Amino acid sequence: MTMASIEAISGLSVAVPSRPDAENATPGPFVKWLEAEVSRTSAAVSEADLQLSRLASGQATSLHQVMLSLEDARMSMQLLVQVRNRLLDAYQEVIRMQV
Amino acid sequence: MDYSQAFAISVSGMAVETLRVETVAMNLANVYSARGAGGGLYQPQRVLSGPAVRFGDVMDAFRNTLAGVEVYEIASMNANDRMVYEPGHPAADSAGFVAYPGIEPVGEMIGLIEALRAYDANVMAFNAAKTMALRALEIGGGR
Repeated sequence: MTMASIEAISGLSVAVPSRPDAENATPGPFVKWLEAEVSRTSAAVSEADLQLSRLASGQATSLHQVMLSLEDARMSMQLLVQVRNRLLDAYQEVIRMQV
Repeated sequence: MDYSQAFAISVSGMAVETLRVETVAMNLANVYSARGAGGGLYQPQRVLSGPAVRFGDVMDAFRNTLAGVEVYEIASMNANDRMVYEPGHPAADSAGFVAYPGIEPVGEMIGLIEALRAYDANVMAFNAAKTMALRALEIGGGR
């Protein structure tokens, strides 16, 4: 067996799609949404933190306002966690794919 | 997010009911106030509340006009003073009568209970909105 038979296929130019540069890649709408949601959740959590420390230090805003900000932080955290779960599920699905 | 509006509406109701309870507490605390702050007599107060007005775009979706409740004013009630015969009282008039604010403790207690129940109802609405949002997050999960 000569190498010629193998070399024969080297003439084939396989058009491999070039991977876009990670830096030049423009984020898709989902990534933008995710970033916005993460920053919103972070803001909600820090707001809840602020309200709690205000309540603890006696500069009482109303109690229901504190609970509102706590629930708000919790809901957006839950949303993020669920999105992460779905993403990881999809990833696992791809990883387990037979090739 | 859409659920935070339901939260905000319920919380505005809670704020109004809190103010109502504070006003009732103010009235009850002043049942035996023979003199008011400005020399006159203390007048029983009532909270006047109503739907919060939000002048949005006419083309807005209908739900965007929901804005909860707000306090319009805390107004004095038009109640007759209670005249009690106490000749030795420092605030007694020439006939020996002392004027006390026209506060009915029983009516104030009923107002207290009503405000408490309304607050409870707002908390229930809040929890219902939260449960709905959490259920929505369960869509597609738990396979």
